[in-house]
Amino acid sequence: MSYYISVQNLVKKYGELCAVDNLSFSVNKGEIFGLLGPNGAGKSTTLSVLTTLSDFNKGEIILNGLDIRKDKMEIKQLIGMVPQDIAVYDHLNALENVKFFASLYGLKGRQLTESAKEALEFVGLSDKQSIKPKHMSGGMKRRLNIACGIAHAPQLIVMDEPTVGVDTQSREHILNSIKVLRDRGATVIYTSHYMNEVEEICDRIAIIDKGQMVACGTKAELVSLVTDVQSVYIETKLPIDFNFEEFKKKQMVMPGMRALSLKENIIRMDITINHNHLSKMIEQFLSLGLPVININTEVPNLDTMFLTLTGHELR
Amino acid sequence: MFHIIMKETKEFLREKTNLFFFLMFPVVLVFLLGNLLGSMDNAEEAIGSIKVQYLIETENIYHAMAVEGFISSVEDDESIIFDKATDLDSAKNMAADEAIDAVVVFQGEPLKIQIYEGRNNIKNRTVSAIMNGFIQTNKSMSAIIKTVPDVLSSGITLQDDMIKQKDLGVNRSMLDYYAVTMMTMICSMSIILGSAAFKGERQNKTVNRLIIAPKNRVTLFLAKILGMVPQTILQIVLLMVVSVLFFNAHYAGNIIDNVYLFFMFFIITLCMISIGAVIGLLIKGSPVVILMPFIWIVMFFSGSYSKEVYIKGFSDAMPIYQIQEAAFDLAVFGRYGRANIVIITSIIVMFFMLTLGAVIFSRKEGER
Repeated sequence: MSYYISVQNLVKKYGELCAVDNLSFSVNKGEIFGLLGPNGAGKSTTLSVLTTLSDFNKGEIILNGLDIRKDKMEIKQLIGMVPQDIAVYDHLNALENVKFFASLYGLKGRQLTESAKEALEFVGLSDKQSIKPKHMSGGMKRRLNIACGIAHAPQLIVMDEPTVGVDTQSREHILNSIKVLRDRGATVIYTSHYMNEVEEICDRIAIIDKGQMVACGTKAELVSLVTDVQSVYIETKLPIDFNFEEFKKKQMVMPGMRALSLKENIIRMDITINHNHLSKMIEQFLSLGLPVININTEVPNLDTMFLTLTGHELR
Repeated sequence: MFHIIMKETKEFLREKTNLFFFLMFPVVLVFLLGNLLGSMDNAEEAIGSIKVQYLIETENIYHAMAVEGFISSVEDDESIIFDKATDLDSAKNMAADEAIDAVVVFQGEPLKIQIYEGRNNIKNRTVSAIMNGFIQTNKSMSAIIKTVPDVLSSGITLQDDMIKQKDLGVNRSMLDYYAVTMMTMICSMSIILGSAAFKGERQNKTVNRLIIAPKNRVTLFLAKILGMVPQTILQIVLLMVVSVLFFNAHYAGNIIDNVYLFFMFFIITLCMISIGAVIGLLIKGSPVVILMPFIWIVMFFSGSYSKEVYIKGFSDAMPIYQIQEAAFDLAVFGRYGRANIVIITSIIVMFFMLTLGAVIFSRKEGER
C-alpha cells in the first residue's frame, strides 16, 4: 500500500540531544493524523522536518511520492503550515496577511484575492477582513493563523497545536474546520496537548515519547493495546436485606463480565468492550426490585492509554 | 518579490515608532539643533583678508582675459586681495613665510589652475572655493591642481568647512551643518531598520512561514532588503525637502550636486541596512539595545551634534565622520572625490554583507 507520507527511521539531533530517534510512521491521503506526546517528545521537531523547516540527520521522508531532500521545492508547494505561535504581521489587516502568505505560493491578482477571502470565510473571519490582528481576540487570531496556512489550498496541512489558548466557541469552530478540510481531500497532521481534541478529530494517532514511537493506530486500536474493559457504574437504592454476593454470582455468568464491586449505593461492573449488555443489566436490576437512579459508563481513554504506555501523564 | 516589497513598505509606514524615529525625529533635530544651538556653535569666524599672488602662464588670450576679469570681480570684495607674482619661486617662499596666503597659477591649454596653499586651512578652503566658482563660470577650465607643501600641510577639520561663504552665493548657517549631520544620522540608523527586519520576522515566528514557502532563500533575503528601498528613498527625500523648504537649510548649491548627494546617502543607507540585516540574523538579543548606543557614541565623536567635537586622529577614524566630510565636500565645495570614495566603499561593503546575509539565511533552520 502506498501512503501519502512515509517517514522511515527519522533521526534529528540538536548537538548531543537526539530530538527524534529512529521514528517511522505513515499517513494516508485524506486522513487527520494526530501526533500525541508530552512537551519535548519530538512532535514539533518532527513537524519541522516534515515542513522542510529543519534538515535531519538520518532517515527518509517521502511525501506524495517525492523525496523531501531531492524535491524540496515541489514538496513546499504542497504544504500549508499552521504554527503553534500566531505567525502574522500586526501592521497588516486580516486580508493583507492572508494575501501576503498566499502570494508566496505563486497566487496572483484576482485568484490571490479570491483565495484569501475564501480562506477568511472558511475560518469565520469574512467580516473581519480589514481588522488588524492586534485588535482581534485570541480566538480570532488563531483562526487568522489558520487562514494564512490554508489560503493556497495545500494538499497537506500541518497544524501544531492550533487551539492553544482559545475559547470553547473558537475551538469548536477550528475543530469543525479541520474536519471540513479533511472532507475536501486535504491530509492533516495535527498535534495537540488536548487529548479530547485528538480523540475527537483524528482518524489515526501516533504516540511519541522521547523522540520515539510508542504506538500508532486508530483510537480503538490504541486503547485495545492496554485494556479491553470498560466500567459501568449503576446507582441504585439498595434494600436493607440486599445480598451483594448473591447478586454478584448471578451477574458474573454474563458473557464478558470481569468484575463487580459495591461502594455505597453504586455498583461497578467491569465488562469487556465487545460485550455491552446495558439493557439486560437494567432489566435485571428492575426484576430484582433495584431502581436505576443513574448510569455512568467509563470507557478507557487516551489518557489512560498514554499513562499505561509511557508511565507518565501527557502534561 | 513585489508582495514582499509592498509588505515591508506597509509595515514601515504603519509603525508609529518608525515614523517617529526615521522620518520625524531627524527633521525635528535639524530644526532644534540648527536654531537652538546655532548661536552657541557659531559657524562664522573672522578670517581677515586673504592675500593671494597669481601668475598667468597661458598663451590663450581669451583665457587670460577671463582670469583677469574674474580676479577683478572677486577683488571688489575687499576681503580678498589678488596681486600678480613676479615669479613662482619667490611667491611660494612668501606663502611659506605667511607673507601671503596662497599662490595661484593659471597655465596650459586647456587652462589648469594650480594652487599652492599656505598654512591657514580656512583661507585655503576659501581660495579653493573661489577657484571652483571660476571653473563653474568658465567651462574651458578643466581642473584644479593643488599643491600643498608638506611643511605647510595640516589636517582639515569640520570647522573649516562651515565658514560662511557669502561670496559663493550660498549663505551658509548651522542649519546646513545639521541638515547634513542629521542626514548622516538617519542613514546610519538604517542599520537598526535592517537588523529589525529579520529580528522582527524571527520574533513573530513569521520567518518560519517564509522559510517553508516555495521560494529560493536568497531571493527571499534580497526581497526583504529591496523591500526597504522605498522607505529609504522616502526618508532621505523627506529630510532634504523639509529642511530646505521649511527650515531654509541648504545642501549643495546646484541640482546635480544635490542629486549626487542624495545618491551617496541612498547607497550608504542600503549599505547600513545590509550590515543590520546580517546582525539581525546573527544575534539573539535586541539589536537596538546594542546598536543604538554605539551609533550615538560614534556620531558624538564624529561631530554630528556639535562641530566643536573633534579629536584629531580619533574622529577621523569614524566612518560617520568620513561620510559627513564627504557630504560637506560635495555640498559646500562641489567636490566629488570623497563622495566617490564613500560610495565605492559602501557598495563594496554592501555586496559583501548581502552575500554573507544570503548565505546565513540560506543555511538557517526554522525558529523553534
